[in-house]
Amino acid sequence: MKTAIKLAYRNLIGAGLRTWLNVIVLSFSFVIIIFMKGIMTGWDYQAKTDMTNWQIGGGQYWHEAYDPYDPFTFIDSHAPVPAGMLEEIERGEAMAQLIVQGTLYPAGRMVQVTIRGIDPAQQVLQIPTARLDTLTDDIPALIGSMMAKNSRLNEGDYVTLRWRDAAGTFDATDVIVTGIFATNVPAMDAGQIYIPLDTLRAMAMLPGEASILTFRESERQRPGLPGWKLMSKPELTREVDELIKTKQTGQTVLYGILLLLAMLAIFDTQVLSIFRRQKEIGTYIALGYTRQQVVGLFTVEGSMHAVLAALAGAAYGVPFLAWQAKVGWTLPMEASEFGMAMAQTLYPVYSVGLVATTVLLVTITTAIVSYIPSRKIAKMNPTDALRGKLQ
Amino acid sequence: MIKFLLKGLWRDKSRSRLPIIIVSLGVMLTVWLHAYITGFMGDTIEMNARFSHGHVKVMTRAYAEDMNQLPNDLAITGADSLLETLKTAFPGMEWAPRIQFGGLVDAPDEVGETRAQGPALGLGIDLLSPGSREDERLNLSRSLVRGRMPDQAGEALLSDEFAVKLGVNPGDDVTLIGSTMNGSMAMYNFTVSGTLSFGASIMDRGTLVADLHDVRAALDMHDAAGEILGFSKSGFYEDDDSREMAGSFNAMHEGSRDEFAPLMKSLSQQGNMGQYVDITNTWSQYISLIFIFAMSLVLWNAGLLGGLRRYGEVGIRLAMGEEKGHVYRSMIIESVFIGIAGSVIGTMAGLFLAYLIQKYGINISGMMQGASVMFPSSIRARITPVDFYIGFFPGLLSTVLGTMLSGIGIYKRQTARLFKELEA
Amino acid sequence: MKTTFVTLIALFAFISLHSQDAAEILRRVDANLSSENRVFESEMTIHGKRSSRTITSKSYAEGNSRSFTEYLSPASEKGTKMLKLEKQLWIYSPSTDRTIQISGHMLRQSVMGSDLSYEDMMDDRRLTEIYHAVVKGQAGMDGRGVWILELTAKTADVAYQRQLMWVDRERYVPLKQELYAKGGKLLKSMELKDVVQVQGRWFPTTMIYKDMLKQGKGTEFRITNIKFDQKIPDYIFSKASLKQ
Repeated sequence: MKTAIKLAYRNLIGAGLRTWLNVIVLSFSFVIIIFMKGIMTGWDYQAKTDMTNWQIGGGQYWHEAYDPYDPFTFIDSHAPVPAGMLEEIERGEAMAQLIVQGTLYPAGRMVQVTIRGIDPAQQVLQIPTARLDTLTDDIPALIGSMMAKNSRLNEGDYVTLRWRDAAGTFDATDVIVTGIFATNVPAMDAGQIYIPLDTLRAMAMLPGEASILTFRESERQRPGLPGWKLMSKPELTREVDELIKTKQTGQTVLYGILLLLAMLAIFDTQVLSIFRRQKEIGTYIALGYTRQQVVGLFTVEGSMHAVLAALAGAAYGVPFLAWQAKVGWTLPMEASEFGMAMAQTLYPVYSVGLVATTVLLVTITTAIVSYIPSRKIAKMNPTDALRGKLQ
Repeated sequence: MIKFLLKGLWRDKSRSRLPIIIVSLGVMLTVWLHAYITGFMGDTIEMNARFSHGHVKVMTRAYAEDMNQLPNDLAITGADSLLETLKTAFPGMEWAPRIQFGGLVDAPDEVGETRAQGPALGLGIDLLSPGSREDERLNLSRSLVRGRMPDQAGEALLSDEFAVKLGVNPGDDVTLIGSTMNGSMAMYNFTVSGTLSFGASIMDRGTLVADLHDVRAALDMHDAAGEILGFSKSGFYEDDDSREMAGSFNAMHEGSRDEFAPLMKSLSQQGNMGQYVDITNTWSQYISLIFIFAMSLVLWNAGLLGGLRRYGEVGIRLAMGEEKGHVYRSMIIESVFIGIAGSVIGTMAGLFLAYLIQKYGINISGMMQGASVMFPSSIRARITPVDFYIGFFPGLLSTVLGTMLSGIGIYKRQTARLFKELEA
Repeated sequence: MKTTFVTLIALFAFISLHSQDAAEILRRVDANLSSENRVFESEMTIHGKRSSRTITSKSYAEGNSRSFTEYLSPASEKGTKMLKLEKQLWIYSPSTDRTIQISGHMLRQSVMGSDLSYEDMMDDRRLTEIYHAVVKGQAGMDGRGVWILELTAKTADVAYQRQLMWVDRERYVPLKQELYAKGGKLLKSMELKDVVQVQGRWFPTTMIYKDMLKQGKGTEFRITNIKFDQKIPDYIFSKASLKQ
């Protein structure tokens, strides 16, 4: 075997440019497959991270009547924060949000909004709630950039907000936009306005109450709380999985074509090698190699393209992939219109498993493609082969 | 001489067949791949176009201002005549009037009183006219979970999750409670013909899809449409064309101060789509470039191999006294022919394959949990004019280049050694 | 001396009104506006962004708990009926032959695109039941003398916690109302005009509602015919009457 590898290596290097062309093409397969898969993993990771950071934390308890898609339910979906959660909230490991339906009047237009009461000191989500902690006589409010654009509001603008308290009495006040934040999670942006939790509780006459509780820690097994439903992270991120699966499937075809292309080159090379090196083959057999050993030799030689390609791919791929992981890939995908968490720039994530499976896949494919033309050797008559009289 | 070379290529199949097959295969892959990448990368754009943006969209100016609020009180009136105008002015487009609306869907008990009720997003589209392509655009038939598509007035589709929540089955009646164009309360009965999976929970929670005529009747929007979406007949978004079209359409109404004058926006002029279109184009180009480069290397290699195959032949020709330069030139000319032949065959084959995938798509539903509106069950290629010539870069240039490089060897061979080589 | 006396009398009268008669004024307003029951026909004109339209209807109302309305025109609205019993509202539309129960949440939505919500229309408790009144001053309005009353809610479940009401000093009919949010922001205004005498009561037959936070021309509500204390058969206030 060692001889076979040594021989194969010498033959390949000896072929010069032809080998290197094959190796370069094959190395593309490695790098591009790893890159694209990395992008997908990165997307998955990023979408979930964004949701974790901005929306769901490590999971949530929803008031049992809460339905994010039905604002009419907000009027009934609140209850005092369960005693079991108070201590966790106190420690900053969880946070309560009170959700109330309201109407915003930017420049005399009416816009239905979801008012979210949120603790300015919270650290569970990345929403810059500290911006709510300003000294102002008016109620400070925070909105997302999409919301700002749609309602044409800027930082420092006053806007009238109307809501009804728990008893149904109308109330309205001007709030001042103290911050506009950009998030990739549209659910936390479009139609949402954030004001300090205690202010909203007072406004709505719902002291100590909340609609959803978000906790940071996702690992721990959570107990059920009566009157609340537990929403685990996988449940809340199910849609991301679906979307990524679609895109991954589409990409598989690309890998397929890329591999096919590389294999075309390998195949062509192998066919020619065997044709041109009949005498060599005859000699091997004359020297006592079994036919299978010679087939093996040629297969190893073909497969070695993959090994060289892996090395070549590593030579330029590692810096490239590392650079991409750092600067990110601006992805052509506008999923935010569908209400899904989606960043414009994705940072690929490569795992050992990904690299290993890709190398294995390409190498095995190469070995198979190298083996197929080599089988011909087994049918050769060694004397004819020696004389170069075959075909 | 060209005639002679052609004859040689034609008669000596070993000189032409394999190289042409290889070049054709390579070119075919290139063309096919380019079309696939264009289709795959543009998929999201088309998804957005089909679902909400159109390749272009016509609205009233006032509607466009508050587009995200579905302000049907600001809808286009006289939609039919506007539609005719659009058809005449832009014959290369298909036009689809739609109404998006919000409302409540109410399911009755045996005596016709409210049993269950829920808020719904509504979509009124042309489902019933013969020749309407809305079903296909929105992938509705394939996303049916239960029941069938509406085939007569008064029928509607509900998202499956919603139907389950309301306890409604195909065949049951529901009432839509919405508001008319001028704000009155509207109530309208629909028979649920089937249920749909959308694949996005915001839609799955409560969506009603009905024929435009029913929605118009329901919302008192006779001859009105919230928006008229335009789709190019090729089925693909062309940014430049769409922008130009929007520009020329809007120029017609430039002088008007009427806030209800129609306004056309290309897909890229709506929301964040412009940025997205740019990014898509750039990345399709990058990816195509990488693949074409790889393909060129493969065919270059094939050219090199082709030269080597003919090592013996060249030796004989040199031994017979043919000038080295002549041999070299003739081989290059031959490779030009091979390149052209391979590129033509490959381009045709590639276009054919791409066409199949453009028309039928690659079915990926087996890999998904059932089809849904937002996630089409197939991925489609897209043939663009580029595909007709792109294969020639690797097909012709690389083949010739490979031959040129391998042919240099001819000059290195020494006549004295030729016979020794040939003896072997 | 004489002038002083007159002034004193006037002052005295005014002070007494302050302390004691704000409630009395409100009671007399209620006496004009509230009744055991009433049957009326009305036109509501809603000014939309593009066009205005008028809806006519006939209503039967009993106290503040039961009411029944049938829309008479335009054609698209004709035959639509609304029944309100306590906190529940049903709507019947002839085109669908369905009786829809409007859930509590929906009651807060606007009626027929107007500046009134279903709740606004349904809340007809006596003012004295829900508001404390204080006289804030006097003024003239359209050639009539008015008291300006400030009303503050007695109970929590009131849509508007504070109102200013301009009450005709002779007829005890409000000529203008301003409805305020708890925080003090003006939300809606109502102008009441065309006061006529019906069955010994003074009654404003035209009301113009305006949502003050929103652009728009407001909603005009005109009573074309009203009768008080009629014999309304009980079946009117039943779900069965919706389908008739």
